[in-house]
Amino acid sequence: MKSATAAALIALLAAGPLLAAVGCDLNDPDRDVKRLFPESTGFKTLYVSISRQGGDEMLHRVESRLGDTFKGLYETADVPYTMYQIFKGKDLIGYIHGVNTKGEFGGIQVFLALDLEGRIRGFYFQKMTGPHAGEMRDPAFGKQFLGLSLNDFKDYDPVAGQAKPGSRVAAIKNPAPQAEGDFKAALRGTKKNLILCDEFLMGNKYLK
Amino acid sequence: MSKKLAALVGLLLTAAAPALFASSYLFYVEAQALAGWSSAAKKAIFYSMMPMETMQKPSVGFDYVQKFSGEAGDIATLSVQGRLALNTEGGTSTEAQLYNAFLKLKTGWADVWAGHNRPAMGLSSTLDNHGTLLQPLSMSGFGFDRDWGVGLEHQFADGGAALSLTAGSGMPLKFGGYLLAGRAALGVLSQDNFSAGATLAVGRIYDVMGYDVLSDNPMPIRLAGFDASWVSGAWENSAEVMGGTRDGRGTLAVFWRTGLGLLDESRLKIELQPAVFWKKGEASVQAAAGASFLATSDLTLRTMAAYDGETKDVKLLFQIYYYKGIRF
Repeated sequence: MKSATAAALIALLAAGPLLAAVGCDLNDPDRDVKRLFPESTGFKTLYVSISRQGGDEMLHRVESRLGDTFKGLYETADVPYTMYQIFKGKDLIGYIHGVNTKGEFGGIQVFLALDLEGRIRGFYFQKMTGPHAGEMRDPAFGKQFLGLSLNDFKDYDPVAGQAKPGSRVAAIKNPAPQAEGDFKAALRGTKKNLILCDEFLMGNKYLK
Repeated sequence: MSKKLAALVGLLLTAAAPALFASSYLFYVEAQALAGWSSAAKKAIFYSMMPMETMQKPSVGFDYVQKFSGEAGDIATLSVQGRLALNTEGGTSTEAQLYNAFLKLKTGWADVWAGHNRPAMGLSSTLDNHGTLLQPLSMSGFGFDRDWGVGLEHQFADGGAALSLTAGSGMPLKFGGYLLAGRAALGVLSQDNFSAGATLAVGRIYDVMGYDVLSDNPMPIRLAGFDASWVSGAWENSAEVMGGTRDGRGTLAVFWRTGLGLLDESRLKIELQPAVFWKKGEASVQAAAGASFLATSDLTLRTMAAYDGETKDVKLLFQIYYYKGIRF
């Protein structure tokens, strides 16, 4: 019995590099996918991680594109990201992906629905608490992101929380000025989300 | 039993290998150290509830989720979650424990599962208590943490509904009983910061504790319940009332859990959980206070002080819990 147990443990530990435990899934994929892509007929779930796909080199590239370093529980190279490919029949029609980011009242989950070109066709917070969560969750806030792509966020500085004057990102209005931290976290989370989708799903078309 | 678990792990490792390039699986290892003090036992203990119960004990385990997909999307999910736990009462022994062991199929209108899963009953069906010290009503005789059977789940735009028909025997599979349970919920907690559910359950269930079946024959139960969960800022609350008849006698449970997230990224969480039970004509109180600290994204430290009015026992527990994904 002991040898069998030991064998199982050795097999587990020898299996390979470790992944972190913190990820970001859709709460109810069936419902959420249908809401974000009403024309869809199915979706495929993919699990990816920076450590698995590109290691340190990829992590540094992602941080460089983001303009900020990864930090905290939710931002490590081995965090598994859950990505959803959306289908209409057998045709791929888009993607859904969510990221964890640090808000003023705990973690925030920023989800994006993208078309095949990487343009945002849906934006929402899956998780957000705090006194201004209702204003931030207002669909009118999310609508400001529609049609934007990684090109629009390329010059957004998440450390300073500043967008290039005159850009489409600079035009996004904060519905709750008292929750400036959550607003900046939403923009940083959106940029990070778009970069990860470009890296994992779209072959870095925006990097080229 | 340990050989079986080892063989199962080996089989899963083999089965998961082809999925490497599809990235359609998650595999986690779990390890926990747990120790505490019981005033009733007047000695150090190495279990969180009762010696025969399954949660929590020093253990190693795994958690495996595999997605199966066709050309047009996902078609099924396999979930297997097991532990090898150390029993220190009445001599030292190990026990293989199987928690999740189900296949869930996407049928279009609803997801249908078969195997060992959470029955559609109360808050317990929505919470993930696999590694925690504080436990919901399912671990106090109001339902089962897991049960063998079949079920279906359907999500609406503003909530969901679930129905399950299970064996009424919990961790072990024993025929002769059944538990038919259904729960309808309004609101999605992480999205709406509020969720409420109503549960109805009827059946003939066995009296079980962990893998030990304590009754020869199943007893009739009829239960109805209402639960609510809400989040406000750093506060999380859950409450549940469930009552009806068990073995022909009235029974009722009132449960409340409140938690406060502190520090950056809510790494520290403090929780209080009072509950009142009426069983076999007698009332008793259970109260617990717990704290958990996310030391890293894989390592959690937990402690709990708990009072059980039925056994007049005060427990003080400490747990180191490790949960990390591996790739093949």
